[in-house]
Amino acid sequence: MPESLAVRTATDTSSITRVREVLDGFALRDREGEILTAVRHFPARTAQWAPFPAWVHPDLLAAYKAKGIDRLYSHQAAAAEAAHEEKNIVIVTPTASGKTLCYNLPVINAILENSDTRAIYLFPTKALAQDQLAEVHDLNQRLDNRFGVFTYDGDTPSDARKAIREKSHIVLTNPDMLHTGILPHHTRWTRLFENLKYIVLDELHTYRGVFGSHLCNVLRRLRRIANFYGCQPQFICCSATIANPGELAGKLLETDVEVLNTNGAPAAEKTFVFYNPPVVNRALGIRRSYINEACRVSQEFLKRDLQTMVFANSRLHTELMLTYLQQANPQQPGRAATIRGYRGGYLPNERRDIERGLRDGQIRGVVSTSALELGIDVGSLDTVVMAGYPGTIAATWQRAGRAGRRSGSSCAVLVASSAPLDQFIVRNPDYFFGNTPEHAFIQPDNLEILINHLKCAAFELPIGPEERFGDADVQDLCARLAEAGFLHRAGENYHWTQEAYPADTVSLRSVTSDNFVIIDITGSPTVIGEVDFSSALTTVHEKAIYIHGGQQYHVEYLDFKERKAYVKRVDVDYYTDAIRYTQVRILECAAETRASDSLPKIPALRSFGDVLVRSQVIGFKKLKFFTNENIGAGNLELPENEMHTTSYWITLERPLLESLPFTISERQSGMFGLLHALASVATLLLMCDRRDLGTAIGEKPPYPNDQEVAVEAVQLRDRISPNAKEFFEPNLYLFDAYPGGIGFSEPLYRAHDILMRRTRQLIVACACAQGCPSCVGPAGDLAPRAKEAALAILDRLCNSNGEAR
Amino acid sequence: MATLDHKFSRLAALKPARPPAVRFTTLREPCEEDTMARLLGAGVSTNRFGEHLAVRNWFSTPEFVAPHSTSLQLLSQQRDDVVSRRTRAALENPEKWLFLDTETTGLAGGTGTYAFLIGLAWWDAGGLQVEQLFMRDFAEEHSVLCELAARLAERPVLVTFNGKTFDWPLLENRFRMTRSIAVPSLAAHLDLLHPARALWKFRLGSVRLTDLEREVLNPTLLGWRRDGDVSSKFIPQFYFDYLRGGPPEPLLGVARHNQMDLRGLAALFGKINALLAEGISPDEQMHGLDLFGLSKFLHRRGDKGRAQVACAQAVDLGLPVEFHSRAQYDLALMAKRKGEHQRAAEIWHEILAYSGDAIHACEQLAIHYELRVKNYERALEFAHRARRLLHTQANRANFFAQRGIARREDLSLNRIKRLEGRLSKRTGKLLSLGETRATSTV
Repeated sequence: MPESLAVRTATDTSSITRVREVLDGFALRDREGEILTAVRHFPARTAQWAPFPAWVHPDLLAAYKAKGIDRLYSHQAAAAEAAHEEKNIVIVTPTASGKTLCYNLPVINAILENSDTRAIYLFPTKALAQDQLAEVHDLNQRLDNRFGVFTYDGDTPSDARKAIREKSHIVLTNPDMLHTGILPHHTRWTRLFENLKYIVLDELHTYRGVFGSHLCNVLRRLRRIANFYGCQPQFICCSATIANPGELAGKLLETDVEVLNTNGAPAAEKTFVFYNPPVVNRALGIRRSYINEACRVSQEFLKRDLQTMVFANSRLHTELMLTYLQQANPQQPGRAATIRGYRGGYLPNERRDIERGLRDGQIRGVVSTSALELGIDVGSLDTVVMAGYPGTIAATWQRAGRAGRRSGSSCAVLVASSAPLDQFIVRNPDYFFGNTPEHAFIQPDNLEILINHLKCAAFELPIGPEERFGDADVQDLCARLAEAGFLHRAGENYHWTQEAYPADTVSLRSVTSDNFVIIDITGSPTVIGEVDFSSALTTVHEKAIYIHGGQQYHVEYLDFKERKAYVKRVDVDYYTDAIRYTQVRILECAAETRASDSLPKIPALRSFGDVLVRSQVIGFKKLKFFTNENIGAGNLELPENEMHTTSYWITLERPLLESLPFTISERQSGMFGLLHALASVATLLLMCDRRDLGTAIGEKPPYPNDQEVAVEAVQLRDRISPNAKEFFEPNLYLFDAYPGGIGFSEPLYRAHDILMRRTRQLIVACACAQGCPSCVGPAGDLAPRAKEAALAILDRLCNSNGEAR
Repeated sequence: MATLDHKFSRLAALKPARPPAVRFTTLREPCEEDTMARLLGAGVSTNRFGEHLAVRNWFSTPEFVAPHSTSLQLLSQQRDDVVSRRTRAALENPEKWLFLDTETTGLAGGTGTYAFLIGLAWWDAGGLQVEQLFMRDFAEEHSVLCELAARLAERPVLVTFNGKTFDWPLLENRFRMTRSIAVPSLAAHLDLLHPARALWKFRLGSVRLTDLEREVLNPTLLGWRRDGDVSSKFIPQFYFDYLRGGPPEPLLGVARHNQMDLRGLAALFGKINALLAEGISPDEQMHGLDLFGLSKFLHRRGDKGRAQVACAQAVDLGLPVEFHSRAQYDLALMAKRKGEHQRAAEIWHEILAYSGDAIHACEQLAIHYELRVKNYERALEFAHRARRLLHTQANRANFFAQRGIARREDLSLNRIKRLEGRLSKRTGKLLSLGETRATSTV
């Protein structure tokens, strides 16, 4: 049974009662206690106040007072004070805690004190910059427009750019624009760079993985330009709650950063519910569609006139749920629609209209993608329903934060899909509600990324003999770039010697920049979707059955060069599964040690280092729905993909394997199941996408550092070969699916114990009999006792009964 | 006799001897190993930032031409703004002029593009003094820029071809990057690209400097030919190759290219100056299309009177069919605006006969007969004709053009209604007049 439904009565009794009605209704259906896996109640919190610091300019004080702000939350005051003391800070607070004031106050104050002062605000998206512009603009109006504040991004008309460059005290932009539009043209921004005092980084936690690694290098370039003009800008950052905000900020800014994480903002009481759709087939671990269930939950709230925001994880799902909810709440003739959709691709005016409608209450429900997750101001709603786990705890809290009126009560419901992450989260509520274990990692010294930015840096300013750029040996890299014809050394400096413009060819979000477009040619050709490069090879190869929005499509032709897949609608009783051949070769082992610190004799090793991954899709299987019978196969000739990256791996030694009471094929199946689960949990710990990690199993080479020995590995699907050697010592690889690696391997190596423990939790807590997509992978894909075998291996890796801490 | 004078005036042998006035610092002989300097015939110039190569040559052609105040006014005017007195004073003194053309490491702009060769030229002793500043390496950039700043301090009127959007912003970037040499302030910047485009695009289509030289300036007469000239697109790579120890020879071609560009620029100024100057009537060899271009340019810069003359001359000289009707169109409108309504009407009739822009002519003639001549029957006749023509055109036009046509159709429809109203009123009046007359006689 759910833990507690005792929602305390607050002032706004009516909304509480209604929320409670809904929850009680769910509880009634949930006889097994399997649906509502957690109901947590968070009591209201009162604000911690502090006065405005004495140094605040009287005019700014008056402007804030006119807005109705005559005192500060304690964290705002602390942040303003620290910024005033010229410290680099990162403020960690939840949604709707008034974090923009934390940077606006010191920055605008400095501008009022000295009108030469300049600041750059960086936001991860254009929409956020627009939203913040409105906020700063409002303050500026109250100050008789004493300073200039503008957004500068791809949407800025070219005839306005010159004026903006000259008049902006505060430039609101994004990392991409800084990278391609501002830094390479710094001579046009001399006034900005000569007086650059503050750099504000909002939503710092979004700068992780590839994007964060790029951003760190962009900041290196930015600091370099600022130094050239005689400035040492100070950083003010804001982040959602993650486990290592200080570490992330320190790595991004490469300087000491003070973390401010006490929150003084008030919070209304809130109920957080985990909702796991009912099981329909226990053996196969199949649950009801989470999309339908999320609609159902939302409809319960909407029916009781609770203003509700529904989050979907894809545009398609947004539209699907929107259709469903609009049908359930038909538009009254002559009245505006009360249920609206909101996502990228809607026109700005339409978006503003929806935001307004939400604030004034005319719109009762909105179905959104992550577009509404970050700080766009839509006021606060009664309830939030999330269809599917947003991927990270930080994002989940941000979405949940959309519900929460200052007075009264609110409710957030997470409806889990059957994906392993979702299932892990809803079955281990403590993982979510406890101290966040989510770490954001970056690898700015990934050579691929670093060299690209070094080129951009050389274009911006010749590189001198004393220059530093991360940990890299700048002089050596420059010499190599000179050899390759990019740079030329003149005197002591390296200069750019290419006609082309290097920033143009470097995308800051490049993992997914290379996409295949899917074109439906059943009727007149229409584009139905996109898949990224790496999954294209396995999902839209010729003769594949591609499933999109519940509809099956047969891939007629894959135009590899043009990045297009032509498909036709079909209705068949099978699906296809690509056979990928993946080979991992260890190039250099950076560290290797016994798998567990607490168990020195454990017959397993953990390691990380550089690897070479070769993969090729060599064929596909046709599998019958439900039974997963193999009803045919085909060969494919697709180009081989090769990349250098970093990997973390576990070596299972012979004694461990010998101790397993299973047949060879069961044992192997268990290893693949284990790897499936490990990868799921790893993405959770790393705040990354499942696509960011690759998996493979290969034989441990007889000599660990012998480069001559190729390690054969096969991917999840295509393994169990009948003539497998009885006792090969396998390596289980989790590698960064990005050339050069993005910094996951070392953290995984360090977090080995927690990774094992969480993975064990995931498998143990799963109710399926013999494996399902939520734990070790679909049952039909594995040998019967795979789940058992995987658990047995894990037990041995975690001190036999899972007690490894 | 006049032609003989002309001939003699072009003889270099009769020019004054090599000018004595060398105001700039003397150059040091390059060392033996400096093949680049030897090849270019350059000397080493030294200043407080270091050294670079300088190539100095004096050419008797193009000859000095005194800038005419009228052409200057036309050239320096940006739409309606008035040129300041300081600028005017600087402009009118050719000793303050500096022709400039750069060779760069790319066209992309941004802070990583360098001008490795800066070509400068100024009038001296009736001919043109050319000085090319060349950096043998990036380390010599500051010294080159310092020299450029010194030249510009002496001669603050910059004359370029496409320098307003390319060369000068790039040099401004370079100056800012030094953090030690201020961006020189210009008294004026004459960019000949736009006037040249206005004047010659009708005849030439493309108005690159080389095209202009060949088609407008007559290079043989000027004293150089572009034989074996390097193509601009190879220039950055030649320089990069040289930096990495490649052969210096290709850069000799680049320097020559730059030299010809500078001389071409100076000659082009002479040509434009002559065309725009008041009182110099275009000679008979002038191309009709060039006169039409001149007319357009003059009109745009506010000299309506001369624009009309040039346009009429262009028509007289003969123009290709499509330009003929455009020129006629302009002429008629110019006549109309000057109040020469009869002349305008004649031209519109001509246009109709030539079947040029018949719709426009019909519209204008309808207006003409309605407002000036007050011959409503003829006006109505032309209004109907205009409407018929618009209607046929509408069927063939694309969506955007259709909207314009629809508007004009509405206008002509209104005109037809109005005219019909007037006519019926008049006939009514006439009728009633006739009746009274009839009754009186009876």
